[in-house]
Amino acid sequence: MAFVHKMLASTYILRKCPKPSIGLHPLAGIHFADYSSNRPQKPVAATGKAFSQRKTQGGLQEHHQQEVALDTISPEEKPEVSFDKAIRDEIKDHFWRLKDELVNHWIGPEGRPLHEVLLEQAKVVWQFSGKEDLDKWIVTSDKTIGGRSEVFLKMGKNNQSALLYGTLSSEGPYDGDSRQSGYCAMISRVPRGAFERRKSYDWSQFNTLYLRVRGDGRPWMVNIKEDSDFIQRKNQMYSYFMFTRGGPYWQEVKIPFSKFFFSNQGRVRDVQSQLLLDKISFIGFTLADKVDGPFFLEIDFIGVFTDPAHTEEFAYENSPEISPRLFN
Amino acid sequence: MSWVRAILLARGLSKSWGGICRATFPGAPISQVSPQPSRGLHRSAAAHNSELSLVPGPPEPQRRPIRALAPHEDLFRQAPGGERDKASFVRAVQSFGQRNVRKRGHVDFIYLALRKMREYGVERDVAVYNLLLDVFPKEVFRPRNVIQRIFVHYPRQQECGIAVLEQMENNGVMPNKETEFLLIQIFGRKSYPMLKYLRMKLWFPRFKNINPFPIPRDLPQDPVDLAQLGLRHMEPDLGAKVTIYQMPVSNDWTGASDPTEPHIVGIQSPDQQAALARHNPARPVFVEGPFSLWLRDKCVYYHILRADLLPPEEREGEEIPEEWNLYYPMQLDLEYARSGWDDYEFDIDEVEEGPVFAMCMAGAHDQATLAKWILGLQETNPALAQIPVVFRLAGSTGELLTTSPGLEEQPPPPPPKGQEEDDTVQRQQQGQS
Repeated sequence: MAFVHKMLASTYILRKCPKPSIGLHPLAGIHFADYSSNRPQKPVAATGKAFSQRKTQGGLQEHHQQEVALDTISPEEKPEVSFDKAIRDEIKDHFWRLKDELVNHWIGPEGRPLHEVLLEQAKVVWQFSGKEDLDKWIVTSDKTIGGRSEVFLKMGKNNQSALLYGTLSSEGPYDGDSRQSGYCAMISRVPRGAFERRKSYDWSQFNTLYLRVRGDGRPWMVNIKEDSDFIQRKNQMYSYFMFTRGGPYWQEVKIPFSKFFFSNQGRVRDVQSQLLLDKISFIGFTLADKVDGPFFLEIDFIGVFTDPAHTEEFAYENSPEISPRLFN
Repeated sequence: MSWVRAILLARGLSKSWGGICRATFPGAPISQVSPQPSRGLHRSAAAHNSELSLVPGPPEPQRRPIRALAPHEDLFRQAPGGERDKASFVRAVQSFGQRNVRKRGHVDFIYLALRKMREYGVERDVAVYNLLLDVFPKEVFRPRNVIQRIFVHYPRQQECGIAVLEQMENNGVMPNKETEFLLIQIFGRKSYPMLKYLRMKLWFPRFKNINPFPIPRDLPQDPVDLAQLGLRHMEPDLGAKVTIYQMPVSNDWTGASDPTEPHIVGIQSPDQQAALARHNPARPVFVEGPFSLWLRDKCVYYHILRADLLPPEEREGEEIPEEWNLYYPMQLDLEYARSGWDDYEFDIDEVEEGPVFAMCMAGAHDQATLAKWILGLQETNPALAQIPVVFRLAGSTGELLTTSPGLEEQPPPPPPKGQEEDDTVQRQQQGQS
């Protein structure tokens, strides 16, 4: 009888799973598969441990048109309705990309000659000089779970920086499931190659993340996700805090990669290991400091460089009391 | 027939299983054990219930606006004339123990007390948390044999213990030895609250001092002090001087500041003073704002006095002086072996914006108040008297820093208030008082 119950229960679960939508969407952007959702505590004085848990639902599969204002198509740019032409253009574009990739492979990694890549000490990974640079980012807020925070991304006034602004509201959704709420995040899209294959960044030469930002005094969290080929690691990420000063002056934030701690499903794990830089999938900024109100963050560019004075490999030790299995 | 019996039995089983699940995991999940399977089962069981029930259930009752009091909430009822502070909170907690020796309902009472802590203002006091942990009966919840150790022994109480520690963590309170002793006494050394305590002891010291711009925990209540703190926080130059141009005039007994006389606090560093003295009087300077600055959980607004960048042709070139000493060079500009491997510069143009001459925080954001600030600035910067000042004030909480009028775009679609910009040009004449 219990077996019957279990079977009925399991079939119900199967029925409830949404089918992922596959297929080339010629006009819309890339379907972003998933991202991990963590909501850090207000990292002040003594925090950093428990994040509360939230569910990432199938809502992430949809395109959040209303949140990323740049995704709306303006009236005069209405694309033609010809389906075949769109498909043909898409296929041609993919084959061009494939050809570029094959040719670049002969020149060197990512199309640059090898000596240039090996000697490089500082690299600008994301800069914001036009609308197409903003397309590389996705913004989300806790509206996906029913909260009331809003976040928008647009180009800064001087056309050389991006402005992320909005309102944070920790009024949670009253669905009996999530206890706390109130977060906003900006995540970079996964770089895609020909035929929408996932590519990753290779930052093994560098050891520090460099950001030039202008904030309003709120503490942000920087998350980096590694690229995983076969094993599903969808909620595992490495994070660290970024404190903004506020004020009219630009602030340079340097975070060495050795300081990033590992977390899974929004909780800091006991077994900590180093962030490996050879396959980085994307980077994200989260604001969830439990203070309601408007916020803004202006980002000039994001780069990585080698700090020759930084020799630390990993900042966190494992403790034998909490994880005894590592020390036996 | 057997199908119907199977369904009824399944419903009965799922109800009981759902009841158990709901009892064991009411709110906070235990950190390392993922509650996903049991939750999923619970949810699926409940949904399965509604899917396959043969008889439709009664409609849900309407949510009543009046909330019934929690069991021991009368302990926290304010005595007439009494204020909510630590002493009354401690008294309320201790009177629970006196109510019944067996401490029935202590879990609910502890949850209630955790909710009430903020009203009494004791959420950052370790002693109060220890007192709350003291409410648990000791030695009862410790596992005594291996079977009790395998299964989560007294899961509701362990969750409650974790909730206490979690509130400690949310408020940035470090647990002490007394907490450790209490946890061992109540739950044992291998329990989940003890594990959470160990994690707090490990991670809190690691993240305690990582803020490069620390702000004190207790922010000053006085707006002038807060403004001073905020201005010093923003200005990286330590030699900057903070000047209070106007103190708020408070009404007699209310203590509220008069709306026509808000406080004005300004800051200017010696470099900025020199730059303003050198500024060309033909080019205007702009007063922009208000911009928001968050100090922990308080938002203050500031204005800046800045000028636009000089166009490239008007910028002064560096003068190369004549070599007056032929024995050795007076200026040396060597780049020893700077080549590809030694280049740490980023290949991007820096965002160029005009210089900032001064900043201020004022109680009101209108032009009259800021004009008073400019007048006050004129005392230390006499050059400001000849320079035209343009007031560019945004109506709402301006998050954007405007550079030049030519590049203004439309306001973003849904800000809460509309953005209105005032463009007024005033010529400050000499001797205006």
